Amino acid sequence: MLEYKNMINARGGFLMNKISDDILFKVEKPVRYVGGEINSYNKDINKVDIRFAFCFPDVYEVGMSHLGTRILYHVLNEREDTFCERVFAPWTDMEGLMRENNILLYGLESKDPIKGFDFVGFTLQYEMSYTNILNMLDLAGIPIRASERGEDSPIVMCGGPCAYNPEPLYDIADFFAIGEGEEQMNEIMDLYRKYKGKGQKKEFLRELSHIEGIYVPSLYSVDYNEDGTIKEFKPLYEDVPTKIKKRIIKNFNDVAYPIDKFIVPYGEIVHDRIVLETFRGCTRGCRFCQAGIVYRPVREKKTDKLLEMAEKLIKSTGYSELSLTSLSICDYSDLQNLIYKLVRKHEKDKVGVSLPSLRIDSFSVDLINEIQKVRKTGLTFAPEAGTQRMRDVINKGVTEQNLMDSARSAFESGWSTIKLYFMIGLPYETIEDVEGIADLAQKVVDQYFGVPKEKRKKGLKVTVSTAIFVPKPFTPFQWIPQIKMEDVKEEIGTLRSSIKSRNINYNWHETPVSYLEAVFARGDRRICDVLIKAFQKGAKFDGWSQYFNFDIWMEAIEQCGIDGDFYAYRERSYDETLPWDFIDVGVSKEFLIRENERAKRAEITPDCRLGCENCGVNVKLEGECFEGALFNKVQ
Amino acid sequence: MRYLIKFSKESDIKFVAHLDFMRTIQRMMKRSGLPVEYSKGFNPHINLSLAQPLAVGVYSSGDYMDAAFEEEIDENIIIEKLNASAPIGIKVFEAKKVKEEENKRVFKSMAAIDAAKYRIKIKYNNVDFLNEDMEKLLNLEQWNTIKKTKRGEGEVDIKSQVKDFDYSVVDNILVMRTIISCGSRENLSAELLAKFIQDNTGESNKDAFIDIRREEMYAEVEKKLVPLYKYAETI
Repeated sequence: MLEYKNMINARGGFLMNKISDDILFKVEKPVRYVGGEINSYNKDINKVDIRFAFCFPDVYEVGMSHLGTRILYHVLNEREDTFCERVFAPWTDMEGLMRENNILLYGLESKDPIKGFDFVGFTLQYEMSYTNILNMLDLAGIPIRASERGEDSPIVMCGGPCAYNPEPLYDIADFFAIGEGEEQMNEIMDLYRKYKGKGQKKEFLRELSHIEGIYVPSLYSVDYNEDGTIKEFKPLYEDVPTKIKKRIIKNFNDVAYPIDKFIVPYGEIVHDRIVLETFRGCTRGCRFCQAGIVYRPVREKKTDKLLEMAEKLIKSTGYSELSLTSLSICDYSDLQNLIYKLVRKHEKDKVGVSLPSLRIDSFSVDLINEIQKVRKTGLTFAPEAGTQRMRDVINKGVTEQNLMDSARSAFESGWSTIKLYFMIGLPYETIEDVEGIADLAQKVVDQYFGVPKEKRKKGLKVTVSTAIFVPKPFTPFQWIPQIKMEDVKEEIGTLRSSIKSRNINYNWHETPVSYLEAVFARGDRRICDVLIKAFQKGAKFDGWSQYFNFDIWMEAIEQCGIDGDFYAYRERSYDETLPWDFIDVGVSKEFLIRENERAKRAEITPDCRLGCENCGVNVKLEGECFEGALFNKVQ
Repeated sequence: MRYLIKFSKESDIKFVAHLDFMRTIQRMMKRSGLPVEYSKGFNPHINLSLAQPLAVGVYSSGDYMDAAFEEEIDENIIIEKLNASAPIGIKVFEAKKVKEEENKRVFKSMAAIDAAKYRIKIKYNNVDFLNEDMEKLLNLEQWNTIKKTKRGEGEVDIKSQVKDFDYSVVDNILVMRTIISCGSRENLSAELLAKFIQDNTGESNKDAFIDIRREEMYAEVEKKLVPLYKYAETI
């Protein structure tokens, strides 16, 4: 199957690719590169009009764990005229052999070089995967700059959460798709059919800009003030929209989902199980969280629908674990009933149900016991901050009592290992807030010893993990400076010396990666040059600590004449034009300002299920809040 | 009810490692809807075992597993249902019910096998002297090579574990067909044999992949090798 393979590509050119056993046997995990998994698609290339390379800029095991990739792969392949193939970043051993043997980056399904495809699409899940995008384009033989690509190159598109600030990739992608893609992807393909083979890429992109949620950077100009801030961002033509409105799915209950075509990889992937999406959006309003804003409004699938989907997914995959997914899973309005029914229905087939990390205010022992009946899952809580004041600042509506009650009941029902996630470097943080993390962890330990010996399980282990906060666009903290690297060091040191119990294990990452994340998260067009420079100097797999090289990045930043601190450490004023201001996520800037002001006063904003906080999403977008939800529960 | 199932792990999926392959088979079983039997305990698994794991890169057109079902099922239905739910690279050829008698040990293919047949292909840069080299090798009394075991390294004679051996040279490729010891009593890895041949012949392409396909597994009955699925009928 993998040996010497000839093809006439979609554009009529002759290409050849060979990924022989002589290469595969030399690399680590060769199954990453062979495809052919159950429920993957294969199509006769002579019977399709559009060939699409769906690229995930990380290795196979990571990319195959991403639900959005699976959904859009399905949406595109449901079209008879389109063949969508998956492409992942080859690990460095495979990349070396591919370059040595002149093998161009290929689609996993056909093994054809993606250079000859119509579209090459990248999903932007985290900023530190950007160099992999450049590396993949390069490995595919496609020029990395959009401005240097002609009619014979595929059209490069990007989407996903990081596309909410697309500017650092403005000269990489030909266009960006903002928001949920299930419907929009079809509109793009429909329009492309009109232009395919006519050598009218420019005309296509111009008309594409009329589709809601599409941003074509080459159709806009940016001027800067002397202080480096943005003076003006405007479209070059009258018919090109000034604001790009994100797309949402209005009938979420019936949105496309790979129910019968959920791919089962041969090798183990990071999330090797069925993933069932229960709802989109979040009402909690945590002020550090971008997802909580950009995925609004909350829309749910009905329990009956989910049960029906689960049954088909189990039948078509053979997996023995099903994970419910969403932001803040315990906010699904019919969760108890859904879990109860799922467990009962699939108990006999030994299918376990699992939940991602739980919110401590809604942790229910009954619920966990229900899940545990079939299979044990890990217990993770995310209080995010150590003191009540700090949790109020970030609007994490969780109290110490909530955590203590949950921990106590967990210990009483036989758990002895608990993970606690925190952030350091949060806005308006003091050293007392950092020390508070140690206090909180100690109180969890005390809860354990408060449970009678015969009732608790032996071997208490409380793991505390801290991540460094990175301010993100479209959050109330989008104007805030990031914590300085030297201050991170100090905070970690303080926390380490504040932890006394031997039952507490502290994991920390003190890395300059978060500085670069901050630069890219809130970067503008000028950061694109830094990215290209760093790539040329050899940066790749920056999300993998063994490959991350901060020196390369600092050199690139310096050589491009850029001040990184301008992006990471600068406090913005409310009237500054931010690089992502032209995107309309539905939530208004006024709401974000109001929230930041409340944060300064450590004032909370209640969950919007308790009353509308006027974020704007139900006014500015046509979707309705809580579509499909039962209104029986606000925790 | 216990069944012996003959199947293939084809070239397409030869790089799927053993544990991943086991998971793949378990999921295939689940998809088939057959009444599989589960192990007891907190992490229930389908009761299933393979006769002999295949090394990464080695494929097979004749491998065996033991499976248990909660009720008796027509052998043809087992074959049909498993093939309908199999991924690319797995085909099921035979299913034989294994007799279970009280006070008798249950049949396990792992314990029953004595030998396996392989086809091995080695690439050469030049084959002008290959026939000569091979004849010299075949005339040797012993094939001594270093074998790594759990206890360490040691020199062993592997020729005594080769029960049948034949070769031909096609283009630049040495094609061997051989039956060698396999199983718990005596085992020779096909890779070790291939490496020995490669190291003891001139001009082999050491950079190339050695293609190894297992073709059948046997039990020894009265000094004769019987394919396992036939053997299962007789007990």
